[in-house]
Amino acid sequence: MAFAIEFFLRRISQGLVIVLLVAFVIFTLLRIVPGDPMRIILGPMASQTTLEETAKELGLRDPMLIQFGRFVGEVATGDLGRSYIRGVQGGSTGGSQDADGFDPESRASVAGLIANALPYSLMLAGLGIAFALLVAVPIGIAAGLNAGRWPDKIGLYTSSLFVSLPNIWVGVVLIFLLSAKTGWLPAIGYRGFEYTIIPAIVLAVELSPVMIRAISVSVAQNLGETFYSVGLVRGISRRDMIGKHVLRNAAVPLMNLFGAQMIGMLLGGLFVVEYIFSYPGIGMLTINAVFQRDFPIIQAVAILASAALVIINMLVDFASTLIDRRLKF
Amino acid sequence: MMGQPALETAAETSPVMKVENLSVGVTGRAGIKPILADISFEVAPQSVLGIIGESGSGKTVLSRALVNWISPPLTITGGAVHYGGRDLLKLPQREVNALRGRELAYIGANPTSALDPTIPVGHQILEKLKAVSPGMDEATARERVIDTLDAVRIPSSKQRFDEYPFQFSGGMMQRALIVDALVSDPKLLIADNITQPLDVTVAAQILRLLRDLQQDFDTSIVFISSALGIVADIADDVLVLENGSIVEHQPVSALLRAPEHDYTRELIAKVPRIWQGAETPPAPSTGDIVLEVTDVARTYKVRDRNRLFAHKLVRAVRGVSFEVRKGENFGIIGESGCGKSTLSRLLSCLEAPDAGHIRFEGTDIATLKGKPLLELRRRFQLLLQDPYNAIAAHMSIGRTIAEPLLIHGLASGRALREKVEAAMSEVGLSTELYDQLPVGLSAGQRQRVNIARALVLEPELLILDETLSSLDQVEQAKLLELFEAIQKRRGITYIYISHDLAMVRRVCARIAVMYLGRVVELSDNEPMFAEAAHPYTRALLSAVPTVEDKPYATSDYLLEGEPPDPIDIPAGCSFRTRCPFAFDRCKTEDPRLGADDGAGHAAACHLAIGEMPKPHANTAGGPDER
Repeated sequence: MAFAIEFFLRRISQGLVIVLLVAFVIFTLLRIVPGDPMRIILGPMASQTTLEETAKELGLRDPMLIQFGRFVGEVATGDLGRSYIRGVQGGSTGGSQDADGFDPESRASVAGLIANALPYSLMLAGLGIAFALLVAVPIGIAAGLNAGRWPDKIGLYTSSLFVSLPNIWVGVVLIFLLSAKTGWLPAIGYRGFEYTIIPAIVLAVELSPVMIRAISVSVAQNLGETFYSVGLVRGISRRDMIGKHVLRNAAVPLMNLFGAQMIGMLLGGLFVVEYIFSYPGIGMLTINAVFQRDFPIIQAVAILASAALVIINMLVDFASTLIDRRLKF
Repeated sequence: MMGQPALETAAETSPVMKVENLSVGVTGRAGIKPILADISFEVAPQSVLGIIGESGSGKTVLSRALVNWISPPLTITGGAVHYGGRDLLKLPQREVNALRGRELAYIGANPTSALDPTIPVGHQILEKLKAVSPGMDEATARERVIDTLDAVRIPSSKQRFDEYPFQFSGGMMQRALIVDALVSDPKLLIADNITQPLDVTVAAQILRLLRDLQQDFDTSIVFISSALGIVADIADDVLVLENGSIVEHQPVSALLRAPEHDYTRELIAKVPRIWQGAETPPAPSTGDIVLEVTDVARTYKVRDRNRLFAHKLVRAVRGVSFEVRKGENFGIIGESGCGKSTLSRLLSCLEAPDAGHIRFEGTDIATLKGKPLLELRRRFQLLLQDPYNAIAAHMSIGRTIAEPLLIHGLASGRALREKVEAAMSEVGLSTELYDQLPVGLSAGQRQRVNIARALVLEPELLILDETLSSLDQVEQAKLLELFEAIQKRRGITYIYISHDLAMVRRVCARIAVMYLGRVVELSDNEPMFAEAAHPYTRALLSAVPTVEDKPYATSDYLLEGEPPDPIDIPAGCSFRTRCPFAFDRCKTEDPRLGADDGAGHAAACHLAIGEMPKPHANTAGGPDER
C-alpha cells in the first residue's frame, strides 16, 4: 500500500514538472515565430494604434516570463483562455469585424472547445485501438506460439503490409470502397456513431503492425524461458502454461510499448485521420488552429497531450509493477 | 548389470524404472550423432541411484530422457524406458503428461528460473498439485503445500507461500522445487545436478534433506551430478557415465574403495584433495605490503516497499581489514551474499567505500582522480567470472587485447602489435587468432583473452573475482598453472575471490573467510584447514564435497537455515543465529577479528579454539553415511 502511494506521489510530481516544461517550450515557440497574432485577431483593417492598445490590454507586450506565469496561473484555475478567432457559436470570425478593438467575451473559451471535441476523439481512438487489438492479438499470439511456421509468416506479412500503407491513402481508398462505391458506411463529418467506423479502421491499420510484432516477439521469447518447459515437465498442461503464465509475462513489455510508443502514434494518427474525414475531434480542432495561428488552442492541446502521455505512462508502469513484482519505478 | 535378482518375487523388489538399451542422438547436417549409447539400468524401490559423469558425458540428456523430455534436435534412436510396465518413450503424449509431475518428478539444476517470476511460489506449487490431482479441493491442496513446505524446513512457510521467486535465495528456491516435486507423492524423483548452483553449506543441507525425505516419502531417487563427492554422499549405487556409455555400476562404497574402470579411477583421482595429499602453495610472502585495507565499509540503499519514502540499508561490507604482500596469493572466500563481490568492486576502485581506506603502496585510492587514477588502474587489473560478456563480440581478438594499451597510450603501430602478440603467446593463445573475431572461442580461450588483455598493461596486482569458477576442472588447472608461471616471471600479486575451497587450498598462502560483510577468520593456508578457529570456517570445510575423510564432521557443524538478510543483521555476533556453539555472550557482544596469535591466525569468535570439538586427525571408514 505504502508502495502505491509513494509511487503515485512521486510520479505525479515528476509528471507536473514534465508538463510544465512542455508548456513552457510550446508557449515560447509560439511567441517567437514570425507573425503578430494581433493581426490575426483584429484582421488587416485594424489601425496600428488599435493594434497596440489591444495588445497591451491582452498583455501580449509584457515580458515572456510574465506572460507564461500568468498563463500557468490561469491554467491552474482551469481557465485555458479564449480562442483568438472562433466566436462563441464556434464558427471562425476571420478577423476584420473587430477592426475597432477586441472583446474577449465574444470568443469561444478553449476549455469549452476542447470539451466539445474530446468525446469524439476518445471514441475514435477507443474504437481504433479495439479494432487494432482485434486483429493484432490473435495474429500476434498465433505467430508467437508457432515461431518459424506459417502463422508466424502471416504475422510478418500482415504487419509488413500494414506498416507500408500510408494512412492518407488507406483513408481515401476506404472512403471510395466502403462509402462512395457501395454506400455501406458514411464517411465525411459526423452525424452518428457509424461515422466513426471507417476512420477507426484507418487508425487500426496504422497501429496494428507494431502490436503484432511486439506480441509475437514477446510470446515467442517467453515460450523459450526455462519456466515454460519446466512447467510442462512439472505436470502442467500446455494450455495452462500458455494461458496463465506465458501471456501474463508477455503482457509486461506490451504495456510498456503501449505507453511509450502507441500513444504517440495514436495522437499523430488522430490528427491526420480526423483531417481526412473532417471528423470533429481534437485533431481537427488543432489543425484548424494551426492554420489560423489560434495560439491559445494550440498550446492547450499540446499541454493536454503531454499530460495524457504522462498519465497513461504512469498507469502503465503501475500495472506493470502489479504483474511483475520485480520491477521498480 | 550388478545385483540382478534371479527371480522377481514380490512387488517391492521389482524395479521402479527399467531402462533398456537407451540411445539418444543429435540430428545435425551430417546425420545423427550419438550422445547416449546402449544405456541400461534399473532403479530399485526406495533407493538412491547416483549417476556421475563430467560435463559433456550426456548426464542431462539421460535425465531428461527418463521423463521423455527429449526435443529436437535431440532424438531417441533406440531402446526403452519402462515404468509401471509401460514404455514411456512409446506412450502417447497425453499419458506421459499424466505421469509427469504426479508419479515421475523432475528437478533441474537451475532453480531460480524454473518458476514463473511473476507469480508467488506457493501459488505455483498449488497450481501444479491441482493440475496433477484433479478433484482435490483448494483448501486441502493448500494445506498440503504448506505442510510440505514445512517438511523441507522452509521457515515461516505460511508467509513464504505468498512470496515471489525473486524473494527466494537459490537454496530456498531449490527447497521449494523439492516441495513441488514431492507434493504429489511421486514414485520416482529425478534430480539433475540440483546442488550445482548452491553454496556448499546449503548444498549439504539439501542433500541431508533429500535423504530424510526419501525415507519419509518412500520415493526412489535418480541423483545426477558431476561432483563425485556429492554423489558419494547420497547414493546407494553409482553409475559412471563416460561419453554417453555406462562404464561402471557399483555400490558407492565399493566404487570408492575399488574402482574397476580406468575412467572411474581417473575421476576419483581428479577430485581435488583438501587434506590428504593436498597440493599447497609456498609459505606466505614476507615482501612489502602492496595493498592495505583498513576498516572498509559499504552500504547500499534500497527502497522500502512498505513504508513511505523510506529506504532500507543493505550493509554489504562492514569493516573489513587485511594486508596483502608483494608476490603473494591472497584468498577471499565466502558464500553468496557475504559481500565478496562488493569488496572486489571496492578493491578495484569501481566504487568508493563509505568508510575506511584502501591503500595501494601507501596511496589511498579513494582520493585519486583523473590521471593518477588512470595510472593506478594500469597497475591493478580485475578479472571477472563471465568470459562471454567481458569481450566485445564485434572486435577482433588482437584489437580487444590492444585496447588497454591504446587507452593508456602506451604503444602504437608495430610495437603495439608486438606487445599484444607477446601477451597472447604468454597466455597460450595462438597469434593466428589476432585478426579473428572471438565467435568460436571456448570459455577457457575467452578467459585467456581476458587475461592477456589484463597482462599487456604489466599490472602489479590482479584481482580474480571468481575468474575460474565457470571453467571445468581441467581448464581450471591449466589456468592456475598459467597464473603461477606468470607470477614467477613477473612477481605479480594475486587476490583470489572465490567460493571454491579446494582451489583456494591449492593456491592461496593467506586466506580471509567472509561472512555477512565481515572477515571472520584470517589465517595462513595450513592452519586454516588443519585447525580452523571460527565455527563458520569449520562448517564450510565440513560441507565441502570430497572423497576423503574430513577433520570436521558434518554432524558437528552442519548449519541450519541461511545467512541473515544483510538488511537485518542480528545484534551481537552476526553468525550466532546459525552457530552450533552460540552462548549468551554472543547475543550481546560482537566479536571483532582479534589481534592475531603471533602466527598470523585470527578469528572473530568468543570461543577459543580448544572449546570446539577437536578436529579428527583421521576418521575411520568412508564419508559419514547418515
